[in-house]
Amino acid sequence: MNGLTAEVGYVSLIKKGEELCGDRVETVRFEDSTTLVLADGLGSGVKANILSTLTSKIIATMMASGMPVEECVRTVTRTLPICKVRKVAYSTFTVMQVNHQDEMTLLQFDNPSVILLRGGVSIHYPQEELVIDGKKVIKSVVKVKPNDIFLTMSDGALYAGVGKMYNYGWQRDNIIDYLEARYEPDLSAKMACTIIAEECDRLYDHAPGDDTTVAAIRIRPRQTVSLMIGPPEHPEDDQKAVEELLDGGGKTIVCGGTTSNLVARVLDKPLIPTIEYFDPEIPPTAKIQGIDLVTEGVITIGHVLKLAKGYLENEDLSTAWAGKKDGASRIAQLLFEEATDIRFIVGRAINPAHQNPDLPISIVIKMGLIDELAEILRKMGKQVTVSYY
Amino acid sequence: MDIYICIGSSCHLKGSRSVIEKMEERIRREHLEDRVNIRGSFCMGNCTDGVCVRVGEKTVTGVNAENFDEKFETEILGELRDE
Repeated sequence: MNGLTAEVGYVSLIKKGEELCGDRVETVRFEDSTTLVLADGLGSGVKANILSTLTSKIIATMMASGMPVEECVRTVTRTLPICKVRKVAYSTFTVMQVNHQDEMTLLQFDNPSVILLRGGVSIHYPQEELVIDGKKVIKSVVKVKPNDIFLTMSDGALYAGVGKMYNYGWQRDNIIDYLEARYEPDLSAKMACTIIAEECDRLYDHAPGDDTTVAAIRIRPRQTVSLMIGPPEHPEDDQKAVEELLDGGGKTIVCGGTTSNLVARVLDKPLIPTIEYFDPEIPPTAKIQGIDLVTEGVITIGHVLKLAKGYLENEDLSTAWAGKKDGASRIAQLLFEEATDIRFIVGRAINPAHQNPDLPISIVIKMGLIDELAEILRKMGKQVTVSYY
Repeated sequence: MDIYICIGSSCHLKGSRSVIEKMEERIRREHLEDRVNIRGSFCMGNCTDGVCVRVGEKTVTGVNAENFDEKFETEILGELRDE
């Protein structure tokens, strides 16, 4: 996408008393396209969950492989089990598909209309009505610009506050006002969703009366973050590893005491550790001129992994790390929010001091942490490469 | 004069944070805060014997919250006074 990429984020609130969400978000990424489907199944609980899961899975898979929309909708209609109570098979859906020609295609069936924020302001986009198998589907094709945010939601968002804070819920216009007021140019897809979902949760008095999901695609310029952890197995590779760290053209992170000393030596700059504990569990950070962030190694990365898991399984709203200053939270901000492309440079030297049965640190654990973190970051939609030294 | 306290992985797990707190408190009590800076260090390479503290040319190993006062009096204070 000409230096642009699609960042995906979503947040769901589950109706009070239910264990399963009746809304479902499915994303499919290929080299040249990103597809997101939000489906809202009829009713709530298990039944709604099955309907929306089938709908989103079928549409996302078919759309992503280039099937015409009519075909996808027909397949869904004919596949869904029919509800015994209501005698219909029904799930609403919104499809957002952005391709490498910088074109966003929207297909909307009975969900609240997609909001397009450009430069922080909601704008109108062309809409064409298709009738497929008796269903009215609204189709739009929009040429995207950097930092465009396409935001879709289930109707639970509109019902928030009905009979409590607002008589009739807050309308799409209220949501637009709310979002515009909180817009910042670096607002991520996930944060945009979180802002709306948190407000819905508040309006529902923390007991949602309906499943509520907000999902967004943000068009953004690529940003590389390179992270080096561990000294190379052979010291003669030190120089090469540091060069690879620096030639990513984006931001740089160095993790680990020995590794930081090595980088400082290669760059011929002092390593200046701090003794400020922003979080008692996380060792303090350090500074090396020319490196954006210097932290301790395994303990910090172990914590980043924990944050990453929480963020990915995200149906919760906790993004406390976004405002914190400890090493792990700052790595999280760089990797989860800022980065689109992540390069891990992993040294495989064994720290003899860590091969001590008293310490929960070993080379095996370190490698496992990086592998697992890389996998989760890929699931977040990041392009991740790992090179070993 | 600088006192370096290791905050690398091993030393962190062995209690760097409480050693830093004890050190700050003790330096105040000895009225040395004008002469002594407490700094962090990213791994001194003695991970098996943490927490490591370096004062001048001397490295003091195996410091922890329990033995802090003893280590300070026998191995650290002398270095600070010599200066």
